[in-house]
Amino acid sequence: MFRITVTGGKGGTGKSFVAVNLALLLAKHFRTVLVDLDLEAPNDHILLSIDKLENEEPIKLFLPFINTNKCTKCGVCAKVCDTGAILLPGGAYPIIFPRLCSGCKACYYACPYNAIIEGYHVLGYVYRTSIIIENTELTLVTGVLREGEEHVPPGVNYTRKKAEEIETDILLMDTGAGTGNQISIALKNVDLTIIVTEPTPLGIHDMSNVLKITNEMGIRTWTIINKSSIGDTSKIYEISNKYNVEKIYEIPYHRDVVSSYVERKPIVVKYKNSPITRVFNEVAQSIMELVRSNGK
Amino acid sequence: MGSSIPQLEIVIASGKGGVGKSTLASSLAILLAKKYYIIAVDADAEAPNLHIALGIDEWDVVEPYIEGRIAYINRDKCTDCGLCANACQFGAIEESNGKYYVNKWICEGCYTCSFVCPVKAISFERDIVAGHIYVKEKTIYGFPLVSSEITPGRPNSGKLVTEAKNKAKKIMGSKKGLILVDAAAGIGCQVISSIAGAHAAILVAEPTPSSLSDLKRIHKLAKHFGIPSMLVINKADISEEYREKILEYARRENIDYLGDIPYDENVPRSINTMKPLLEAYPDTKASKAIIRIAGKLVKIIDNISEWRLKHLPAKIEPFIPLIIKPGNNIVK
Repeated sequence: MFRITVTGGKGGTGKSFVAVNLALLLAKHFRTVLVDLDLEAPNDHILLSIDKLENEEPIKLFLPFINTNKCTKCGVCAKVCDTGAILLPGGAYPIIFPRLCSGCKACYYACPYNAIIEGYHVLGYVYRTSIIIENTELTLVTGVLREGEEHVPPGVNYTRKKAEEIETDILLMDTGAGTGNQISIALKNVDLTIIVTEPTPLGIHDMSNVLKITNEMGIRTWTIINKSSIGDTSKIYEISNKYNVEKIYEIPYHRDVVSSYVERKPIVVKYKNSPITRVFNEVAQSIMELVRSNGK
Repeated sequence: MGSSIPQLEIVIASGKGGVGKSTLASSLAILLAKKYYIIAVDADAEAPNLHIALGIDEWDVVEPYIEGRIAYINRDKCTDCGLCANACQFGAIEESNGKYYVNKWICEGCYTCSFVCPVKAISFERDIVAGHIYVKEKTIYGFPLVSSEITPGRPNSGKLVTEAKNKAKKIMGSKKGLILVDAAAGIGCQVISSIAGAHAAILVAEPTPSSLSDLKRIHKLAKHFGIPSMLVINKADISEEYREKILEYARRENIDYLGDIPYDENVPRSINTMKPLLEAYPDTKASKAIIRIAGKLVKIIDNISEWRLKHLPAKIEPFIPLIIKPGNNIVK
C-alpha cells in the first residue's frame, strides 16, 4: 500500500480540493481509497457531490465505568487522569465526566483492583462510501466529529485505522487545518506528504510549521502552491528548499476552480482541458511513477 | 457600552478555514478600537495569523507554555513485546524492524503505556515547552494583541487558547471593554475554548457548499453554549445560489445577518503587504463593506443585552455525550 498525506497548516488553502482531484486521477489506474481525516470540518464528500455517506459506524472511545463491588475508592484512577475526567468526592465512588475523557485508558490499566470496566463514548462516526465517477471507482472513508466533542486525535487515529483495513493500492489521506498531533497521526508511516499552501505570509508561516514535522519525521515531501498567481512564490521555494522538499507545483488562481467548487463537480472531471487539470495530471503522473517503483 | 455587561467577549468563527476570519478580525478590531477599549486574541494556536494580518513582527512579552509529558522507551530494559503499542489509544508507539519507539509528535503523555509495560521500560520527559504566549501591549492601532502558538505536534492546543484568553482578561482587568477572539478553523478543542464564555459569535461563511456545511456545525456548537450569533458572508458574489442558502439558514436559526463582503482582489494584496485591508485599501469595496458591518456591530454592542435576548438560540441545545455502557447499551 502506498500512503500519501495531503496537509498544509493553514485552513482554506485547498487541501481537500487537491486531495479529491488527485484521488480521482489516481483511481483511474490504481485501487484508491481517499480518507477524510478532517473530522472537524469534513468536506471531501461535498466536493465529490456525495449527498449521503454510507456504512456508518460509531467512533468508539474508551470510557471508564466503576465496578463498585471491586472499587476501594483508593483514588489512583483520578490521580492518573490527565484530563480531569475523574473526580473522587470524599467517601464516594469516583465520578466520570465523559466529555473530558480522552479515552486514553490510563485509569483502566492503573487501577490496582481491576475495578474499571470498559464502556465507550461515541466521539463521532466513520463512513465508507464507494462512488463511481466516469467509470472510475473510488472509495471514500470519512471521519466526522460529533459537534461538541473535543478530543480529535483519537478520532483521527480510529478513522485512519478503519481505512487501513481496506485492501487498496493507494491510501490518500486529507487532513484538517493546524499543526497539532492530530496532523502527526496522519503523517506517520507515509510514503509521501503533499503540502498545499498559498503565496501569502499566512500560508507561508503555517506551512513552515508543518515542514518542521515532515522534515524531522524524514518524509518525502512535495509542495503545491495553490492560487500561485495571487502573490510572490519565491519565499515558498526558499523555505521548501530549506526543508528538502523534492518537488514544487503551482496551481494558478483560475475561475474554473470557483465554478467547479460551487457546482460540486471536481475540476478534473468538469474541465478536462483546464490549465488546473493539467497540473493535477502532472502531479498524478509523478505519484504513479513513485507507486510503480514502490516508493524508491 | 451597555451597562449590564461591562466586559464583553465576542468570538469570530467559521468552521471552515480560509474564509476570511483573520482579515475580518483585523479590520473590525481597528474600527471598534476607535469606539471602545478592545483587546484582540488570536485563538488559533496551531496556525496563528492575526499578528501577520496586523503587521506585527515584534512582541513585548513572550512566555513559554510548559505543559504535558512525552514518553520514551529505555532501550536497555525494553524487550520489544509490543504491549505498549497495542495499548496506546493515539497510535503514538510505532514499530520499525521489530523495535518499538515513541513518536514524540503524537504522544500525549497519558501514562497508559507505562502501566502496561511488564518490564518498566517507559519513562517520561517532563516540563515540555508545548508552546508560547505572545503579547503586543499596544499595536500601532492602539489596542493590545494576545497570541499563542503551540509547538508543532503537541496536543491540547485548546488549553493554550484558554491560557491566552485568560491573559487577555488579566490585561482587561476591571476596565470596560471588548475582547475580540479570532478562533481557529474546525470545531475541536481550540474552537470550544474560543467560544466558551463568549457573549456573542460572529460566524463567517463564504457561499460554497463546504462552508455552508461547516457553518451549520460551528453554529451547533454556539447553540450548545447558548451563544447568540451574527453572520457575515465573505466573497459573497461567487455564488448567488449558496449565498441565498446561507441566508435562508440564518433566517431559520435566528442568526443576525450583518452583511456581505464582496470578492475583492485587494484582499489578497493587502495580506501580502502584511497590512489590514482597511489600512492598505481604505476605499476598496471590501473595506467599505467591512465599515458598514462594523457600524451594525457597534449598534449591537451598544444594546447588547437587548440584542442577546432577541437573538438567543430558539431553544437551548446542550451537548449530550453519547455513551455506550459496558454490555453495549447505548444511553443518552
